[in-house]
Amino acid sequence: MTPLDHHWPAIVAGDADAFGRWVAGAEARLRLSLSSFARVVDVEAVVQESLLRMWQVAGRIEIRPEHQGESSLRFAIRVARNLAIDESRRARTSLADPPTLERMLEAADPAAETEDAASDPILRRALALCIEALPAKPKAVFMLRLGDAGALGDHQLAAQLKMKRNTFLQNFTRARKYLVECLAGRGVRLDEVGRVRP
Amino acid sequence: MNAREREASLEAVASAHRAVDVDGRISAAPDFWDLSAEDRELAHQRGSQLRRLEAAMDPEGLSCTGQRVLAMIRSAGRRL
Repeated sequence: MTPLDHHWPAIVAGDADAFGRWVAGAEARLRLSLSSFARVVDVEAVVQESLLRMWQVAGRIEIRPEHQGESSLRFAIRVARNLAIDESRRARTSLADPPTLERMLEAADPAAETEDAASDPILRRALALCIEALPAKPKAVFMLRLGDAGALGDHQLAAQLKMKRNTFLQNFTRARKYLVECLAGRGVRLDEVGRVRP
Repeated sequence: MNAREREASLEAVASAHRAVDVDGRISAAPDFWDLSAEDRELAHQRGSQLRRLEAAMDPEGLSCTGQRVLAMIRSAGRRL
């Protein structure tokens, strides 16, 4: 597995493709580090905002050898922590005891993610077969959201399929449940935060 | 909130779609504020699972979150 900091010189030079490679390696662990905030802030929004800020401040991040290729991830987790604390204060639901940076780094367990990455081809093959087997409407809904990649809201996506939003979301629930069960039937078990388990 | 509405809100919050506010910041999903603390945690778990599946299906290994952020950066054409 390439150390995340390996991508940083290209990112500082403005290479968005390199940033994409960094995001592919860092996102799941950044998200995992924020799990203890999930009851008070919308973690998805914090992850997206943190990733955008990493791109904006790339030149200010100091890569240090003692961080073993993870200076950039450590910085991202610090950015995300500060954002999550700010957001929870704005919503007046702040945590009495927000997690320390060290606790968040521990939560972003690198060993688990390495295991995940190694199993990706198996997951990809099994998932493709399971998607193919989805019933028509849940399949249409799942594929539309997948292809849209977060650009449009569910109201707009539902309208494209001439569905009401609630019908669209009910079909998405059916698709998600079917896929998780189908993957388990093919020997690919996902834990509650999406890590592949033996 | 009845069971159907709750399920719809959970699924909406688990999505990678987030609006951008007038200051250019990524906003929380509107449905997030309707959920209990336990359901917010459940939505986070569902979202994490979905991001994993999305990344597995993408040739570059990017979830819908990663693809969305990259699209925003590329559409800006420079450092935001």
